[in-house]
Amino acid sequence: MSMTIQNVLAQSTETQVAGLASPIVIYIASLLGAVAVYLLMPKNRFNWRFIGTVLGLASLVTLWGYLSKTISWQDLGITNAAYAYYYVFSAISIIAAVRVITHRKPIYSALWFVLVVLSSAGLFVTLSAQFMAFAMVIIYGGAILVTYMFVIMLASHSGGPEHEDEGAEYDTHAREPLFAIIAGGLLMAVLLNVWFTPANDGSPTIYQTNAQSKSDDVLINNYLNNRAESATSAAIIAVEGEEALKNYAGQEQPQLTNIEKIGLNLFNAHPLALEIAGVILLISLIGAIVIARTQVPDEDNIKSRA
Amino acid sequence: MMTLAETGLQYPVLAHFLTTGAILFALGMIGFLTRRNLIIVFLCTEMMFQGVVVTLVGLSKYHMNVTGQTFVIFVLTIAACEAALALGLVVLMFRRKRTLDSLSWSQLSG
Repeated sequence: MSMTIQNVLAQSTETQVAGLASPIVIYIASLLGAVAVYLLMPKNRFNWRFIGTVLGLASLVTLWGYLSKTISWQDLGITNAAYAYYYVFSAISIIAAVRVITHRKPIYSALWFVLVVLSSAGLFVTLSAQFMAFAMVIIYGGAILVTYMFVIMLASHSGGPEHEDEGAEYDTHAREPLFAIIAGGLLMAVLLNVWFTPANDGSPTIYQTNAQSKSDDVLINNYLNNRAESATSAAIIAVEGEEALKNYAGQEQPQLTNIEKIGLNLFNAHPLALEIAGVILLISLIGAIVIARTQVPDEDNIKSRA
Repeated sequence: MMTLAETGLQYPVLAHFLTTGAILFALGMIGFLTRRNLIIVFLCTEMMFQGVVVTLVGLSKYHMNVTGQTFVIFVLTIAACEAALALGLVVLMFRRKRTLDSLSWSQLSG
């Protein structure tokens, strides 16, 4: 009996593993992106922003051309429209992220970061994680970024009107951009390489479980690898016949919305973590008040007094 | 009967979202290392959080398991705490030295 379920589940996993081929494209895209970010960095000597932009877009197009080839269209898991929106939101968030780290004025960097937050909220909507999207917009875009804005305005360098266009020296000159970008490009290449070579390439790993027999181990692992509900009902049909599916219908979980699922998971599975999060918030509240009340002597005053 | 909210992602589609997360994380790291303005440095840590959050939500959809999304709430908590404390310290440093340059703090002494 269990063999039948295995066969059904094995058939349904076959479509999951598409041919994810040579990583050389990933390295080329990472290299192009790294060169592009290097050219876009604020520096004094060269200002090759146009070439940097072209190279960056070329890198994105290379990567996405490679990515979209790996798709098999019949069972995406999201709608085709959502898949198209992925490219839109992802492009906006990556371009905005590049502007965050290359813009010479801090206030514009913060505004571009708002765009990163909004477009990744769009990505969450395409993944049907609506609550996370709203939480991102409200907490990040609404609360954290407003704090940043206040601090940027509090601590802005009030130079003379003749320096208004240039900004402070520490904003217009990057520190060691070459080494940082080599490190970042390497990190990206390695991460992408890992993610395009899935661990279960054809032969799924069998993890040890507490099941009594070896075949049950295989069964549980197969089930865990492909937990879509369609596979479960296909297995039930294969083993016990189509009639038996009705018996399981009553046992199905009620249709929960995204926010209900998250709430249940948060309060059922992680009550201690929730308490600890509350304590951390309290501690940082006290800490912020203590820091804000600290009297700081101005260093110029100290020098003039001494 | 089945709605799309109940199905997991195909692995290549998951790889798309992981790619976006990786790019955001790498860009945040580059910004963290290169920028000299302390406020932008902390903004870049927030961007690295964004990359991690995109990865978490994508994997949560792939595995059909909301724990990934629940964990984002904790990431948000830590990000908010970090922003409040770090920015308080940045304002303190600015009042002391009248500059936001991280290089001006390269020799810290009592």
